[in-house]
Amino acid sequence: MSQLLDNPNALTTPILGESDLLRIRSALRAEAQNVGMGLTAATKLITAGSELARNIVRYAVDGRGEVTIERIRDGDRHGVRVVFRDAGPGIADIDEAMRDGFSTAGSLGLGLPGTRRLVDEFAIDSEPGRGTTVVIAQWSR
Amino acid sequence: MGLLYRVTSPPGRTVAGSWRGARRAEPAMAPRANGRGAVMGHSALATVGAASIQRLVDSITDLALIQLDRNAVVRGWHAAAEALTGYPASEAVGEPITLLYTDNDVAARRANADQRAATETGRHEFRGWLVRKDGARFWASVTFSPLRDDAGNPEGYLSVIRDLTDDRAGELALLSIEQMVDAITDYEVIRLDPDGVVRSWSEGARRLKGYSEEEIVGRSASLFYTEQDSRAGVLSREMETAARAGRVEAEGWRVRKDGSQFWCNMIMSPIRDAAGELLGYVRVGRDLTDQKEQTRLLQRQREEILELSTPVIQVWDNVLVLPVIGTLDSARAARLTESLLDRIAQIQAEVVILDISGVPAIDTDVAQHMLRTVEAARLMGTTSILSGVRPETAQSIVHLGIDLGTLRSRNSLKDALQLALGLVGAASSDRVSFDA
Amino acid sequence: MRDQVPILRMGNDLLITLQGDLDDATVEHIEQVVTREVARASAAGALIDISGLAVVDSFVARVLARLVAMVRLLGAEATIVGIQPAVAITLVELGVPMGHVRTALNAEQGMAQLRGVRDESTSR
Repeated sequence: MSQLLDNPNALTTPILGESDLLRIRSALRAEAQNVGMGLTAATKLITAGSELARNIVRYAVDGRGEVTIERIRDGDRHGVRVVFRDAGPGIADIDEAMRDGFSTAGSLGLGLPGTRRLVDEFAIDSEPGRGTTVVIAQWSR
Repeated sequence: MGLLYRVTSPPGRTVAGSWRGARRAEPAMAPRANGRGAVMGHSALATVGAASIQRLVDSITDLALIQLDRNAVVRGWHAAAEALTGYPASEAVGEPITLLYTDNDVAARRANADQRAATETGRHEFRGWLVRKDGARFWASVTFSPLRDDAGNPEGYLSVIRDLTDDRAGELALLSIEQMVDAITDYEVIRLDPDGVVRSWSEGARRLKGYSEEEIVGRSASLFYTEQDSRAGVLSREMETAARAGRVEAEGWRVRKDGSQFWCNMIMSPIRDAAGELLGYVRVGRDLTDQKEQTRLLQRQREEILELSTPVIQVWDNVLVLPVIGTLDSARAARLTESLLDRIAQIQAEVVILDISGVPAIDTDVAQHMLRTVEAARLMGTTSILSGVRPETAQSIVHLGIDLGTLRSRNSLKDALQLALGLVGAASSDRVSFDA
Repeated sequence: MRDQVPILRMGNDLLITLQGDLDDATVEHIEQVVTREVARASAAGALIDISGLAVVDSFVARVLARLVAMVRLLGAEATIVGIQPAVAITLVELGVPMGHVRTALNAEQGMAQLRGVRDESTSR
């Protein structure tokens, strides 16, 4: 995962319910625009963010979690990094959840393989009882 | 003998010591004839012995305490005054205090003004250059306090002189730093206090943000942030990060005095005193709006170049051909799909022919990418046909177990075109037979 | 926005426009309105226009699939129209199965497609 400075522009907001999804999508769109991201890359990023946020609303304890959105830089490459944290049940078998069979993002599972395909960088850390953290990053082409 | 007081024990006799008596006795200062130790001015110390007062004065070494009469003539001197000015008591007592002033100050009748001020306000201080006996100048703080007798009548002045040479060095250093900072015009260098209020400004800051020093010092730096960022508390988070991590770098849109925005790259560091207490922050910022524009232009150019290398050709009203040439890396592949779909939307294509005769060897990655492109095109209502499938390619596809699904394929572009026109033609002939 | 699901009648077909943010409550409302109108108009076809949706995630995709299924159960044919290029690419990469969903570039082509389908079935 790309290195970045302690970023005061990072905005962390809670994810409590469905109403937060619209806000997160808007924020992602704004930051994608800020770094000059193309429409396709931006749409993928926003969709990935929407998927991950919805997972939290659906599966985390009381739908509780938080998201941090920040701009990142690597030389003259600019991008957006999003961190999703939840205090949900955690994932027992990450390998299984990430198994790429071009499977559905849907009622069966969390749709993580599909979400991973949408973004340039993807990292997940989860443990049953400890909750889940997913970090994604998208660079502007 | 004390500084403030001239104590005489037996009448007429002055006590020897560091306090030298006046050479030219002034009547008003003559000892009283009652025989007891006469104390001028303050009677509180009447009971204190002359010797102990003398010791008190002798112990003061870093201040020069000088007694002056009503005409500002030196009447009382001591070792510290000699050390500071170079004049022994024998040469100072009886001279006016202007002995220590620079020629300029003498000419300006400074002493008169100082005395008047002291008399009126009860205490007057000024900072300026004084001159030693050897002609050397030193930066000093000079205070005048009037002395009064029991009845409250002015009898003279106490002048306290402090050498500020060390302090002055600090002041000069500060001045040159300020000059240095103002010489920087491409960057803004400003100081905030711990609450984010602007405390110092610079020429570079004025050029960048438009505010003059008078307009901005004392106001909050949140003025420079967009409404959205202000509400989100970006400034306080920047300060908090700087204080915690020792440094923060941030980029974002900032607002000038005239309301216009610019893309700012800023570094902020905390300023602490020797004890580690936070005194404020220093910010160095620059305008990167041009660079940002350039980067965007560069990106657009790069995209255009990519587009040129993957041309989409319109061969009929609603038929597109995409010749896939060479090998596909993921960036080119993504660009390919994007430009194809954009063209589909643009001309409302019904059929797209993907010609892979220019692809040297088909592998699962290329096949997978193509299948996704085909599916995305289908979501936009477009039928795809694969063309340029050579014998080797046909073998590879089957060996690799790639399932093309409902994707039709042809060996030659000509055959694919024929099929495409048939599909398009068939649809339009259907339309013709409608009544609605 | 919840109360407004623009539905336009075009001959035997309905043109339904989805827009804005689709939350659970809005979706339920849309399903009620669409099924009611398809039944009331005895529509032969329903075009669901999503050109106004800039982002279609798996949730929205399933909403669309369910709408199509409901419309079909009422004896009408359904076509999704107006999928934006960026949305199309994203849906494919996301891996949402849209294989059983009929699609067209826009309302006009969708209409033509519906009639083509009808002609096919009636000519048998």
